[in-house]
Amino acid sequence: MTTTREFCTPVDGTPEVTDPGTGEGPARTVVLVEPSEKVFAGHYPGFPIFPGVCIIEYVHHSALATLPEPGDDWMLAAIESTRFLSPVFPGNTITTELTWSKVKDSDALRCKAVASSERGKSAQIKLRFERRGNR
Amino acid sequence: MTELTVDEIKRILPHRFPMLLVDRVTEMVPGERLTALKAVTVNEPWYQELDDKAPEEAYHYPSVLLAESWCQSAGVLAAWENPNPDVLSGQVMLFGGVSDVEYLHPVRPGDVLEHRVTLSRSFGDTLIFEGESLVGEQVVLRVSRVTMAMRPASELTGGAPGEQS
Repeated sequence: MTTTREFCTPVDGTPEVTDPGTGEGPARTVVLVEPSEKVFAGHYPGFPIFPGVCIIEYVHHSALATLPEPGDDWMLAAIESTRFLSPVFPGNTITTELTWSKVKDSDALRCKAVASSERGKSAQIKLRFERRGNR
Repeated sequence: MTELTVDEIKRILPHRFPMLLVDRVTEMVPGERLTALKAVTVNEPWYQELDDKAPEEAYHYPSVLLAESWCQSAGVLAAWENPNPDVLSGQVMLFGGVSDVEYLHPVRPGDVLEHRVTLSRSFGDTLIFEGESLVGEQVVLRVSRVTMAMRPASELTGGAPGEQS
């Protein structure tokens, strides 16, 4: 492995921001789930399915890449909700649409995301982010 | 009270390296609750690509894997009475959704997670769990609600590439 990262993660790819969401619509990212993703070996042997939490992880990385406020100290504080709607398989592309809002009466940010593959919606996910210093 | 070592956990869960994230069940009351352990080590593959100059925060265990590890512990409780470690046949446990999973404190290599899982409700083939994870006496993760459902394996395999009709 020649690449290095500054954080640890179970996923191998990096979502590409195709729309930063600075206009009217949602932010948008896209990432190819390579058949070589390391999680497939054990999830599951002989029948690779991309783990639901790895879909959440790509949404998490997509959120950090499209944060509407500056600063590099934002961190995932909660998975507020997730519904898994259809499986993601090796070679699928995950497209994520992300809509940001402020959490009432706090400095936290909420990211509502819909992740889709070639097969339609894969998951609806709501994440909450807080600044590390505020915890 | 039931204790399970990893050889027995592998007869219940279909997950394997590097995605088997439960090391031991220390206490289980079937149909009710379970306590399980997961030891975090820097030798897990998630740490392999970390730059040598990466800061301390870079070693915080991936948040989504904390949730996965907790959910696998719930999966042991769910499947205990009817284990099926083969995802290609029979009834399989599918992860339907989660609500309010809160991350309260970072987890680092060297920590041993203690997952506490309670079956809060079940109706038909659907099970709802809640609980928390601790490192020592500190709560690091709080889980308000995780829904799992037993479904025919064909619901998964029917969607696989090359297997669609």
